[in-house]
Amino acid sequence: MKAMILKEFRQMRRDRRTVALMVGLPLMMLIIFGYAARFDVVEIETAVLGPGADIAAGQLDDAFTVVEQDPAGTAEDARQLLADSRAAVAIVTGAEPTIYVDGTELFVAQSALRRGDSLPAGVEGEILFNPDLSTAAVMVPSLIGLILLFIGTVITSLGVVREREQGTLEQLAVTPLRPSDVIVGKIAPYFVVALIDMVIITLAGILIFDVPFRGSLFLFAVFGLVYLFVVLGLGVLISTVSRSQGEAIQLAIMVLLPQVMLSGMIFPLKSMAEGVRWIGYLLPLTYFVEAMRGIFLKASSFGALVQPLVILVLMAVAVFGLAVWRFRRDVAPRAAATS
Amino acid sequence: MNAIDVRRVTRQFGSFTAVDSVDLTVAHGEVVGLVGANGAGKTTLIRMILGLLAPTAGRVDVLGAPPSRQGRRRVGYVPQNLGLYRDLTALENLEFRAEAFGSTRHPVPFDGDALVGRLPLGLQRRAAFVAATQHDPAVLILDEPTSGVSPLARSHLWNLIREQADGGSAVLVSTHYMDEAEQADRLVLMSQGRVAGTGTLADIIGPLTAVEVTAERWQQAFELLDGTGPPVTLSGRTIRVLGADQAVVETALAQGPVRARVRSVPATLDEAMVLLDS
Repeated sequence: MKAMILKEFRQMRRDRRTVALMVGLPLMMLIIFGYAARFDVVEIETAVLGPGADIAAGQLDDAFTVVEQDPAGTAEDARQLLADSRAAVAIVTGAEPTIYVDGTELFVAQSALRRGDSLPAGVEGEILFNPDLSTAAVMVPSLIGLILLFIGTVITSLGVVREREQGTLEQLAVTPLRPSDVIVGKIAPYFVVALIDMVIITLAGILIFDVPFRGSLFLFAVFGLVYLFVVLGLGVLISTVSRSQGEAIQLAIMVLLPQVMLSGMIFPLKSMAEGVRWIGYLLPLTYFVEAMRGIFLKASSFGALVQPLVILVLMAVAVFGLAVWRFRRDVAPRAAATS
Repeated sequence: MNAIDVRRVTRQFGSFTAVDSVDLTVAHGEVVGLVGANGAGKTTLIRMILGLLAPTAGRVDVLGAPPSRQGRRRVGYVPQNLGLYRDLTALENLEFRAEAFGSTRHPVPFDGDALVGRLPLGLQRRAAFVAATQHDPAVLILDEPTSGVSPLARSHLWNLIREQADGGSAVLVSTHYMDEAEQADRLVLMSQGRVAGTGTLADIIGPLTAVEVTAERWQQAFELLDGTGPPVTLSGRTIRVLGADQAVVETALAQGPVRARVRSVPATLDEAMVLLDS
């Protein structure tokens, strides 16, 4: 038994990825649960509109961070601010003072409602976009992103690494097929399967969980396509640095886990410590979740989603471009050797 | 014009020279055996001929031009690991390869739903051979084509290889098996990245001999001979001293003394490779 244990430790020590997984993963979990996994929201982005907005803003609890103050603002402006995600809460003063709460920000909304005591007496509350504060309504649009991420990274990388393990990638390199034929031919089926999955999950969310779809189908499709390029690129990129399917799965876990925890899908980004929040801003799922919640629940306009779209497009170009460049070296190795 | 023309080709990986100024030609209709021990540079040379690696120096021409994507339409290659999709059937593999080469699939005796990974190795090798030749290549490159198959299957595969050559293909076969080397029209022996000899098996082995020692106390005989200089190997209980002089062996045994039958015999291909490497 001693020999067996010793052998196992020796193998473990030499497998750098396993060591990284054993040391890196607990560290990552510690950071995530220590700094990110908070349901309590300490900063509620608030807009105060209407006559006497400055006075009302001064009376608010510290948790309400005033991001906009407009004495000439109306209830319509308040709705628009929430629809564009420029604030999570909007307070409109006047004859019928009202607090509008963005229901798509589940924990922010709950926190705002709990702190209602600091608001002037007689203020009416209205939850927009998700009046029942339904978890499914918020989670299903986000899950689309997570499932596509899973297919993109895990399934795609396994499919490509299998070629390398079987030695068929080299065989492809000696056929007359163009590298672009091989790359597109290899990735296209995963693209199609992921697209079908996206449609199935969306329909299931709408039909089974009664998640409303209020936005533009076109915007939904555009975000879906751009995001697919990012996640498939991640999958191919993982495959180009993995020698075996086991290695690919290890790397895919390292890519998946932070996205689940830090994208704002489960824990609100606003409640995370500053440093950890910035990691969230580097992850594609963060922007896809923002866009899906906006499209499904708020009927967000193109203008409101330009920023996440531009970021996702940049990510798609960078990740997919790098993935194709590295994959090309596998299927056209001579060109790489002479370049 | 030779189908494969390799001129003074060198390939370096950092400071390591895997292939060092190698010349090699294969004519149409000829079967050339590329022999050498593991690490002799055979695979690196084949990868350069296939266009998978660029030479550091020298020139490789296949069918009159450097390897290119277009040129690959006329080249067939069977790697040692076969390069078949193990989770597809043999027919599905052949269909895919035919499409990739833009050729029509020949009628072949592969049917059934068995995945390639579940076929006996002999059948897998045959399927790989058909996959590499169904587009009628002018150049066929095979890496250890009959490794691990039964003698009957090996004989059948060599019939197929010979048929290809008779049809005009230039065939380059990499091997370190003597019985495969015997099938080639001409051999090119590589050692430590260089060409160490060319010609028939007899030409290469011709001058090389081993001294065969059969003794009752073979362990003691081995101890006496080991360390005298020439490489010493053991085959069963028979000792072989490679490239040694018979008189030197007899003198060493007399120090025991060990009674033994000693005779000089031609070296095998494996022994020739050991001698060239030592």
